[in-house]
Amino acid sequence: MYLSRQLRLLPKASIGRSITTSSTHYTTTTGTPATPAVEHIEIPNRIERSPTDILKALASTVGRDHTAPHYKYHDDPFLIPMSNMAKRTYAMSKEAGRKAAKWIKEEHRELFLHQEAQPAIEKFAPSMVYTEESEVDESSLGQLIELGELKDAVLVYNLLEQKGMTVSPELKQSLLELVCFHNNQDPLPEEYIEERWFLQNNQRRERHGKTWKDGDLAEKLYAEIEPKTPQTYAALIRGMAKYLQCERAYALLQEAGEKQIQLDTNTYNSIIQIISFLKDNAEQRWQLCTELLQQMSQQKLRPNLGTLNAILQCISTFGNFKLARSSALKVLPEFKQLGVSPSLGSYYYLLIIFCRERGPVSHVIVDILNEIAGREFTVEHPKDTYFFATAMDVCRNHLNDKALAKKVNELLHTGNNYDLVGDSFKESIYYRNYLALLCQTESIEDFMLTYDLLVPNIYIPEPGIMEEVLRTIEINAAVEHVPRIWSDMVVFDHTHRESLLLYVLRIMVDNRPNAETPSQAQLPEQCAKVALDMYNKIEESVRRIKKVSFTGQMLGDILTLLVRGDNYEKANEVFSHIDKNQHRIPGTPAESALQEYVEASIKEKSPSQALAALQYAVDNNMESSVIAKRIHDGFTLNETHLAKLKSLVGESFLEK
Amino acid sequence: MAASLTRLLERSLRTTHAPQSSVRLFSNGSQKQQQQQPEVEDEEEFRVLNLRPVKQQFQRRRDIRRDDVTPPRTTRMAVDQDWTAAWPGPRSFHPASVPLPLRQGFTERGAAAPSKFANAELMKIPNFLHLTPPAIRQQCEAIKKFCTPWPKGLETEAKWKPHFPVEVITTDYCQSLPTVRNPEARRVTVSLKLSDLKFDNHARDKFLRLVGERYNKETDVLTFVTDRCPLRKQNYDYALYLLTACYHESFVTEPWEATKSEADMELYLFERNQAKRSAEAILNWNAAEGAPKKAASASYAQCVEQLINEGENEYNLAKYKEEVMKMLNVAAQ
Repeated sequence: MYLSRQLRLLPKASIGRSITTSSTHYTTTTGTPATPAVEHIEIPNRIERSPTDILKALASTVGRDHTAPHYKYHDDPFLIPMSNMAKRTYAMSKEAGRKAAKWIKEEHRELFLHQEAQPAIEKFAPSMVYTEESEVDESSLGQLIELGELKDAVLVYNLLEQKGMTVSPELKQSLLELVCFHNNQDPLPEEYIEERWFLQNNQRRERHGKTWKDGDLAEKLYAEIEPKTPQTYAALIRGMAKYLQCERAYALLQEAGEKQIQLDTNTYNSIIQIISFLKDNAEQRWQLCTELLQQMSQQKLRPNLGTLNAILQCISTFGNFKLARSSALKVLPEFKQLGVSPSLGSYYYLLIIFCRERGPVSHVIVDILNEIAGREFTVEHPKDTYFFATAMDVCRNHLNDKALAKKVNELLHTGNNYDLVGDSFKESIYYRNYLALLCQTESIEDFMLTYDLLVPNIYIPEPGIMEEVLRTIEINAAVEHVPRIWSDMVVFDHTHRESLLLYVLRIMVDNRPNAETPSQAQLPEQCAKVALDMYNKIEESVRRIKKVSFTGQMLGDILTLLVRGDNYEKANEVFSHIDKNQHRIPGTPAESALQEYVEASIKEKSPSQALAALQYAVDNNMESSVIAKRIHDGFTLNETHLAKLKSLVGESFLEK
Repeated sequence: MAASLTRLLERSLRTTHAPQSSVRLFSNGSQKQQQQQPEVEDEEEFRVLNLRPVKQQFQRRRDIRRDDVTPPRTTRMAVDQDWTAAWPGPRSFHPASVPLPLRQGFTERGAAAPSKFANAELMKIPNFLHLTPPAIRQQCEAIKKFCTPWPKGLETEAKWKPHFPVEVITTDYCQSLPTVRNPEARRVTVSLKLSDLKFDNHARDKFLRLVGERYNKETDVLTFVTDRCPLRKQNYDYALYLLTACYHESFVTEPWEATKSEADMELYLFERNQAKRSAEAILNWNAAEGAPKKAASASYAQCVEQLINEGENEYNLAKYKEEVMKMLNVAAQ
């Protein structure tokens, strides 16, 4: 318990005041000090602050710690997630705990009736359960609609219908709106933030299929409401458009038009959004779009941000580039005149209109970034969250520009803009493109700095990105980073990808470390360790499903690295493995590998191993003469060895 | 887990014919053991006492392969990192997040103190890693915009005391409970020096009687602590009310105050007391009737009062002696 003692000296006032020391207002009996000079003391006003202002100011001093995991994970080496799967698992399991707690609370509601908090927390109190026998009336229906409890509201409505109680038209209208908005199915509760964060695939499904429930409660309610007000039409049209029941939504719109019913802007927006499902051709879509806009202006409806984004969405589905671009360029200034400022969603649509894969290169993103640099955004439209991932994609694939990418990154980190990154899928796309771009365009040192910052807590690279990184390392011959990358690969569970393993080995083998440079002094040992690690991992993975099998080339590389790292015993082990399992290993080690092995045997003075290598070379039709010569020169062989050598390569070598 | 262990144990006890208790080992002699444990045949080798011959079985089954754990993140922390971001608030010590090679704890002589990992001593004690000087500086800079400068001319306590004689102390409580309210927070303490209030003698006496224990004689501080109302504001108003009421009441003289007797007197007055009568009696001992009464001298009266009011000390006693001698015209010797 912390105490804060507030020492206040009277008099207390809320306006600034000044004190003049005059004569003895508060005289002491022992006599005043002998300075009766009149001073004018200015006491400044108290600066007003809200209850949390100081907390916010203190919080703004806390930056980001790049070695720490996200705060939702437990900060312990055993419990920090180190792969995408682990991140998802840990976060979802935490949320599963919350769900379990909620379930227990609902299941044993009689145990959770206490309200200890002051003021009382409603969420902790058990929720109302509506069954067939509950006593309900209109007010409870009204309350449920207010709270947005769809299932309960529908239940109560059905109960009221059964009992024959009349429901007022306004209430029916509110219920219609609620049902249309959710398509009569309970949405994912907002408190399940982790599930929402990791929800990836539903979007793609929803974009194409119609999910509107025909003939269901929404339409029943619609039929019941007489007379049909504009709001009724609006609710049903918007619901149908949202869940892609396009034909009927459009038909309803036309019906409303015929009956001279005044609809509102957002209804038109929802229809404009589905134009791409109504018409196939770009020209037809544009024509319908302009028609709808004209209708809107006839009805004196003022367009808003939703209109702008809906139009841009429609334009982005045009197959005809020229038409798309020209229409977009026409639309923007008009809306600027109307005073509608574009949101990030509008910029997203602009990007996908102008920067298409097979179209000409467009630098619209430069203008966009110039305009929005340094601004702080809040969510204004559902598509706002698509902007950053798309912008980074454009920077990488379309323009391949590092400076632009850095500008986008800066924008992402200003203020609270990070909230607009969307969900985990978009975040991973964003960083995937960012890292891929950086590793192609930046020097290896700077790239590794950024890599250190982002990996592994903010972003964990996929195997494809790992391959890009390895490629960059290969190009720059920066072998000292390979052990680090290898340990990352092990941690992120990329070791089942054969291509990656081969690549790592290839880089290490091709770039012989230079013993003089200090950064590369320990490199042979480290490379040997990496090779050994890989060998062990592949051995162990035999039991697993996604197993990697040895190839001769791979083993040859491992052998080379072990030899270079002065780990002769392990090299022997590997070689004996190669030798014994000749029939199971496709391919053979490279000649250079065998030669290096023989050199090492000569150094270690074990001729038997060298001869075994020669035997292997001869058995597999490899270039054995060089090896034989080396052996003959390097060793002083005794009789048995000489005999063996003779038997393998023949007499001719011995004479030379 | 325990059940499975016992089942294993039972099975092993049934199946093995190895000596099952130490008693049997010693009592049956060496022959049986030689038969039952043919491995240990070498007579020179010391026979190891094996109470649980099936222990190896347990160990084999418990050999679970665990994934390698990443090294603690201190290895990745840069030397010039922003520590305020790594340890922003009070937190119990976490060895994998603190890059210092701390050691704490008692060990036998010669051994190094236990390291920071799994060190309960380090975890128990409060640490101030969140209050490093740069962190404090940063936080002060952030809060500065809510602060106004200290008024000029009120730098020292002596300077502001005359303007602000009354002190009000209230306490706020912060707790991690479901409720933010704390009944202790309603308590208000109002204090001021009595010398800042104007009194005459009667008023002062009456005031002090009214106020009772709330006045501290040594420091001359009057303190009102109020908590009888449920809200802090109410308690504050009540405290000020008490102060005002007592002050004004002390100037009003009730009729019953005239019944103040000698036992109620707070000071010794020469006029009212036996000492005067005694002194006069002594001085007028041989006086004739009708002669003017000799009264005790004023200085004698004052010195007696001082002696009795202030207590006996060297000075007062010496003065009394002087006065008495002066009064009785006894020459000093």
